[in-house]
Amino acid sequence: MVITPIHYIVVPLLAAFAIPLLVKIHKELPRIIPGLVMFYNIIISIVLMQQVNEFGYVSEVIAGWKAPWGINLIITPFSGFLVSLISFMGFVIWLYQYRFKRVIDVGELKSYGILQMMMITGAIGIIITGDIFNMFVFLEIVAITAISLTSFYRHRDGAEAGFKYLLIGGFSSTLILLAILLLYTQVGTLNMAEISEKIHLVPQGMKATILVLFIVGFGIEAEMFPLNGWAPDAYSQAPGPTSAAFAGIVVKAGVYGLIRIIFTLFDIEGAFDFLIIGGLVTMIIAEFSALKQTNLKRMLAYSSIGQMGLVLIAFGIGTKTAVFAALFLMFNHAVIKSLLFMTGSILMYNSKDKTISTLNGMGKKLPFISLLFSLGAFAIVGLPPFSGFWSKLYILTAAAGEEMILLIGAILAVSIVEIVYYFRVVSKMYFAEETEHITIFKPSVNAKIAMGILGAVILIIGLYPDLITGYLHNAADMILDKASYIDFVLNSNAPVQ
Amino acid sequence: MQQEFHEIFVKYHEIITLGVYGTAIGLMLIGLYAVLMKKNLVKIVIGLSILDAGLHLLFIGIGYVQGGTAPIFSPGYEDAGSKMVDPVPQALVLTAIVIGFAVTAVALSLIIRLYKHHHTAKIDQIKSLKW
Repeated sequence: MVITPIHYIVVPLLAAFAIPLLVKIHKELPRIIPGLVMFYNIIISIVLMQQVNEFGYVSEVIAGWKAPWGINLIITPFSGFLVSLISFMGFVIWLYQYRFKRVIDVGELKSYGILQMMMITGAIGIIITGDIFNMFVFLEIVAITAISLTSFYRHRDGAEAGFKYLLIGGFSSTLILLAILLLYTQVGTLNMAEISEKIHLVPQGMKATILVLFIVGFGIEAEMFPLNGWAPDAYSQAPGPTSAAFAGIVVKAGVYGLIRIIFTLFDIEGAFDFLIIGGLVTMIIAEFSALKQTNLKRMLAYSSIGQMGLVLIAFGIGTKTAVFAALFLMFNHAVIKSLLFMTGSILMYNSKDKTISTLNGMGKKLPFISLLFSLGAFAIVGLPPFSGFWSKLYILTAAAGEEMILLIGAILAVSIVEIVYYFRVVSKMYFAEETEHITIFKPSVNAKIAMGILGAVILIIGLYPDLITGYLHNAADMILDKASYIDFVLNSNAPVQ
Repeated sequence: MQQEFHEIFVKYHEIITLGVYGTAIGLMLIGLYAVLMKKNLVKIVIGLSILDAGLHLLFIGIGYVQGGTAPIFSPGYEDAGSKMVDPVPQALVLTAIVIGFAVTAVALSLIIRLYKHHHTAKIDQIKSLKW
């Protein structure tokens, strides 16, 4: 069997819709099938990344309609890197949740599996498609499944968080649709490479209007201020594995959309300054909000928003080092924040009233989980020798290269805030006296393995960053090289295989 | 009858086009007003649907070609290449309608759950989560 990019979309969708039938054969199947599909995604990623290394890109034409007319899927080093990251995170999150939902009945388990797989498919679809309307459709798939997963637990305030997300999301999707319509009237095509080729024909004012509509639309998924009102509620009300998936998968797809539109589609000077300012405001407000949170998952959610602000700043600087650093930070954020959400939701489950102040003495009761949480906390604030150190260092280097002294000051000042609120939690776990005696819910073995894998990745990448910097450099080159993207899509006469 | 209608249409073409765009933008404004100002959750969702409907109408209006034919090459439609109505916006609107339907369905199911939980559908009385 030949592996092509379409497998990323077809296989998970087929499996998702087959689950209601397969559950009649055996009631454990809805648990196992997502894992098999996620594992297959990893295999696709490995095969396709080898081809990308060899040929520079992999492109697939769907239903025989060539590039400017039909829908095409394209995997470049940049999108390939993100898709591989999402596949890996999808598998680890499945491993974590395999026994997590032991208590719930088959019907709910079934819908959970379907929604989770469709969310991952949508995120992958956003990244590999070459058609802007197709991207919108996948964005809506991600939004609808994410809303449903947010309100998954009936006994939490999930419905309220989900409804907030839906209002913001529904409004933003209207804006994106309007932007696509305006773009279509101007350039007469929906293919992103062809739009990029013809965008210089569009009048400057129209171009700015369309860009603003797109930024507002995708900024919601990328957690950009002031469009991130949904994020803290959704993260804190969603099931634990879903919070991890939001941080590791959904946000990455949103940032990809933003970057593809700003870097490839439009060439407006001011857009980069806008990214820096937007990122800076997002980061500062989020980190200070995180400081005053009492709920651990809300604190992690605000921290996640702050990290995405830093990613946007790095993309906004726009030099090659900066883009490389931003990609590195996206990788780190996916791994570290997912680990923090996984360990954090187990810690929360065992605390009395779900607040940080009841975490006293967790270091003795749950030594392994506490150790991994501390590892994640150290890594995300950027202490050496963990992987978070390198990405922060590269971002500061890039800012220094452009002589943005104020920006460096702001990033460092915010890092201190980050250290304060993370170390507050860690010191509570290890140095505070144990106050309450409660029965501990121990995590299952597979959850421990999943968290162990992420912890190992943080340590290994921290000690040997060269393992991934090669891929990241290729990806960064690809983002900045608009001409070869257009060339790949429009002139790829020979479809691969 | 059909001939007569066609003549009227050609005569007042500009006014009709303006009317379509005006209706579309008017619908979008009404929808926006409902989403932003109404307190009842169901009314907000209705507003979201009206907003979508306005946008869909705008899509169709922009794709329309006066006196155009269907984009099919068949007997009676030999000039389809030069006179056809652009089919792409229509295809996009079909997809967008389906997506809008899904969003509305999810929204209504969330409202049912919110109502069971809080015994109200007023947005300013549901605030167990802060913004």
